[in-house]
Amino acid sequence: MTDPTGPRDARDKLALLLSLIPYLMDHESVPVSDAAAAFDVTPKQIRDAVHLIAVSGLPGESRAYLPGDLFDIDWDELEEHDRIALTHTVAIDDTPRLSAREAAALIAGLQYLSSLPEHADRDAMASLMAKLERGTATGAAQVAVAPAALRDTVATVRAAIERGTQLEFDYVSARGASERRVVDPLRIESVNDDWYLRGWCHLRGAVRTFRLDRIDRLVSSGEPISGHGAGVVLPERLFQGSEEDLTVSVDVSAAALPLIADYIPDDADRVREGDTVHTKVRVAHYHGLKRMVARFAGQVTVTAPPDARAAVAEWARAGAARYERYERETS
Amino acid sequence: MSPQKVPVEERLFSLVLTLVATESGLTKNEILSSVQGYNSRYRSGGDNSALERQFERDKDDIRELGIPLETVADPGDPGNNQSLRYRIPKAAYDLPGDITFSPEEMALLRLAATVWREGSLSADSRRAIMKLRTLGVEADDPVVGFAPRIRTREAAFEPFEVALERNVVVNFDYLKPGEREPTKRVVEPLALVQFHGRWLLHGHDRGADAPRTFLLARVIGTPRVTQIPFARRGGDHAARALDELQDIWDRNLAELEVAPGTDAWVSLSKREDTRRTDDDHLLVHYSDTALLADELAGYGPEVRVVAPPRLVDAVRQRLLTTLATHGGEDGRD
Repeated sequence: MTDPTGPRDARDKLALLLSLIPYLMDHESVPVSDAAAAFDVTPKQIRDAVHLIAVSGLPGESRAYLPGDLFDIDWDELEEHDRIALTHTVAIDDTPRLSAREAAALIAGLQYLSSLPEHADRDAMASLMAKLERGTATGAAQVAVAPAALRDTVATVRAAIERGTQLEFDYVSARGASERRVVDPLRIESVNDDWYLRGWCHLRGAVRTFRLDRIDRLVSSGEPISGHGAGVVLPERLFQGSEEDLTVSVDVSAAALPLIADYIPDDADRVREGDTVHTKVRVAHYHGLKRMVARFAGQVTVTAPPDARAAVAEWARAGAARYERYERETS
Repeated sequence: MSPQKVPVEERLFSLVLTLVATESGLTKNEILSSVQGYNSRYRSGGDNSALERQFERDKDDIRELGIPLETVADPGDPGNNQSLRYRIPKAAYDLPGDITFSPEEMALLRLAATVWREGSLSADSRRAIMKLRTLGVEADDPVVGFAPRIRTREAAFEPFEVALERNVVVNFDYLKPGEREPTKRVVEPLALVQFHGRWLLHGHDRGADAPRTFLLARVIGTPRVTQIPFARRGGDHAARALDELQDIWDRNLAELEVAPGTDAWVSLSKREDTRRTDDDHLLVHYSDTALLADELAGYGPEVRVVAPPRLVDAVRQRLLTTLATHGGEDGRD
């Protein structure tokens, strides 16, 4: 029978137990709610952990787990005041070392952030990473991230968010038209090397996500934000599907299927025939479709509707023609 | 199942406490017969093989948390597994006492941890912050409205990470950029790196008997983590792999004629390290000809590649292929 808690879950719980002990030793008597906030877990998780700690310890000479060999807490404090007070400890009393992967995760995160202007002090960053490396028993795992490519726009947008002022910029929409936008900036996000601004768009009257690399002629107007975006809960997904999205049928080579997985709706059929998969992709407009298909020449083919096929063919024909025209003009 | 089943974390916790408390170490039988979580199921003189297998898995779990669980051979009886002793040296368990963090550093570490919002490294960074939290340093206020994030959605990431940590060979099918059929690879993994937004595995390709770098997005299916160990030579492979990728990026330069005001212009002119020539061509750096050709073919008539010739050919070939597969004549005389 498999364990319902699972090994990863058990490791998380063990990390909490081992971390709670030095924390509790530093705090003579601490409310459960404070400990929960400190470790970013629920009060119940803290109470469960404390109950477990209080009955744990060493087998001892008699192998009977006698009271002197166990941790102990002030039970009245816990049951009557929801506070934790350790009264006896055994074996461990200090912060455990980091694992190779724990240190690597933080070091790689720091590397990613190291291009932020406020972290430009390379020596301070290097010393922080060295401390993490030294905090392991075996050295950090070999994972590294090149610093994020931060453009000037990131600094401008962050400053506007902190000041609570509006931004204006040209933005090429999913349909290919460039429009001047006025936006109340709410949050700047990134996914690897791509940066996004999420904010209240005055033109659309709604919260929108903008790719920073498609923003042009950015101006911080200094006008206070309108307050329309206040209290808006930003959805976790950057882009939401729209009712107006187009669905087109495609043939995809099986090997290339993962490369276009983002475009395939969850409920689309994927019918395999030899090395080809028949499926569907969803796009906002042919403007985006023809670009996506042309990036996967010979691996993604639009099969229907006919005007979608024609849009892709025309796009490729126009692209190829630039080389022929150039050759004619120069020969 | 026995009625008084002990939760996994209680067994692991008891094991850690017992092994920290012992100086000379305990044998497997001593552990299984005494430690909470094993002791009630231990049969003296009987078959304890299920319990022993569980102990092996528990050791792995504990080590993966960064706890230095040591094995000590009996000098009088080397080679006898039954006389091996296990312990956790207290000095190697404790975070070195001189490691401290300022409130600014703590805030930066918390931000670095939130960068991993998905995948296995998010659990690792959460546990790291949990441990460091016990040092009692209050972090400075978090930055508002700022959510940088690294994505590790490629299915190959987790198996590669496991193979890297265990120092074992990994097998996978790989679709090299510009090729149509995947090939089988047998690789000794040395580092996982992210460069210009793409995850790559750097390792020694046993088939080619040479160092190679693989794009995770181009790995087909799920890699198979073998139990074949290999000897890792040299150190800091991750930093060296990033340096090499940067060298290639610096060396590769394409000259492009890009229509102003188009998607291609907006995106390529903002690409890192891009410069403009006097006649308004863009000079862009890149890692791989086939990958850049894919991207540029997507821009259709918005871009014409001026140089290098192999990139011109690659983009043109892609456009003609797309034209042919979408019912157009392929335009060649």
